[in-house]
Amino acid sequence: MSIENITIIGHSTLSAELAQILTKSGFEVLTTDLTEDYSAKASVAELVLEFLPEDLELKGKVLCDCDARCKGETILVTTTGNPWITRLASNTTRPDRFIGINFVRNWAQGKLFAQVAKGLQTSAQTVEACIESLRRAGLTPVKLEESPGLIIDRMIASVINEAALMYSTRLATIEDIDKMMKLCANWPLGPFELADIVGIDSVVSTLETLHQQLGAKYLPCPLLRKMVDAGWLGKKTGRGFYTYT
Amino acid sequence: MEIRKICVLGAGIMGHGIAQVCAQAGYEVNLRDIKDELVEAGIARIKKFLSGSVERQKMTQAEADAVLARIKGTTDLDKATRDADLVIEAIVEDIDIKKQVFREIDKICPTETIFASNTSAQSITEMAMATKRPEKFIGMHWFNPPQLMQGIEVVVHDRLSEDTVKTITELCHKLGKVPGICRDSTGFIVNRLLQIWYNEGLNMYDEGIAEPQDIDTAYREGCGFRMGPFELRDMVGLDTGLAITMTHYREYMRDQFKPPRCLVMKVRAGELGRKTGRGFYNYEAKS
Repeated sequence: MSIENITIIGHSTLSAELAQILTKSGFEVLTTDLTEDYSAKASVAELVLEFLPEDLELKGKVLCDCDARCKGETILVTTTGNPWITRLASNTTRPDRFIGINFVRNWAQGKLFAQVAKGLQTSAQTVEACIESLRRAGLTPVKLEESPGLIIDRMIASVINEAALMYSTRLATIEDIDKMMKLCANWPLGPFELADIVGIDSVVSTLETLHQQLGAKYLPCPLLRKMVDAGWLGKKTGRGFYTYT
Repeated sequence: MEIRKICVLGAGIMGHGIAQVCAQAGYEVNLRDIKDELVEAGIARIKKFLSGSVERQKMTQAEADAVLARIKGTTDLDKATRDADLVIEAIVEDIDIKKQVFREIDKICPTETIFASNTSAQSITEMAMATKRPEKFIGMHWFNPPQLMQGIEVVVHDRLSEDTVKTITELCHKLGKVPGICRDSTGFIVNRLLQIWYNEGLNMYDEGIAEPQDIDTAYREGCGFRMGPFELRDMVGLDTGLAITMTHYREYMRDQFKPPRCLVMKVRAGELGRKTGRGFYNYEAKS
């Protein structure tokens, strides 16, 4: 089956950018949201992506609605960063044609990047069809199994957690830790700069999921929890590890 | 305190580069190693680097000659350290040998001489306590190659004087480097965080989540790192990498630093990375 028509449900900066990239690459793209009859717009597509808030019930409802109206061969995609793929898939009639594609922005170059996450029941053909479409759109997708935090959020959360522990145990200052990682390890950003961009709340939420599913080593550093309690969530609130004006 | 003359112990990969940086900043340098051949090899490397700089018109021949003239090679520990204001140790990573050398020069050097160790793995506090001048014993962790890498981890501990910290951070600036202050602990800042960075990637492979090339691509394309954890492990050498991970695991006794299974098994199989033609990737030329 070839993918030509793609429907994107839900609006965000990432979804808008993706829609633009896909259109430029020759795909027919429809965008819609919950204020419209989204399942009607989904019914014409071979690939349907939801870009909804991280709410399991909401995503479940919308994807089941699409499942009911879509063609048999249509692939349903959740863009969730949470390990919900297999669970969402099993509520549809097409768990083999259900997959996760998580989009993130590369902080150093600003480019869009896709992690294609296979649920337990996702078929190899579904994975290949998605990878092929993303490549056609000029993206560099990677393939992985559904897992908490996927590759990027998991790595970033772990590094930030350790850096927060180093700072809170007075090993070094925030500035010196960031400076050394950039100068001595060639990192594009220091861990605290990264934390402030990603959002402390989002780092803690990833760590909590990792902690639940993979064990004690992912327990969030107390400092990160206190920062969430204080509303120091990073750039978006004007204060995180650094202060922004 | 004013530093005029610096002694660098060890003329290897780190030592010769450190000596060169100091000489380029105008300091008189004694470069000492245990054998004449090692001293000569270190100085030959400096010459090669400097002539490259002259070729690329980064410096004049006269400047290069002046830098070389400031570096005196020797195997005589007494002569090398006696008149130095600062001794930077960059010898083999063996705590007993390092302590032995520091005990020796503790007897030779005047009480005001500052001792610095370039160790990346040993305890600064432990070495400081082997001398009678812990307040003048500091960590100065350079990165490879010292001529090009800008950051230096300045490692401090409970017995160190503020004055020594001030002298060494000022020296870093005079050398054109950027100091980062870190309390003595295994891996300091950079190696400790790198262990987490490596381990997460390797653990994902162990858990069957993704293949090395996909994990490396995610680190590079998704986050902007220059290399992924598998490529970098292969480049540095898997045996070296495993040893560093083990040092962290033994010291911190936390699961975050536990050596990933795939790394242990590769080392056991003798596939140590690029240097053996095989590691996580295959580098052997296809026939």
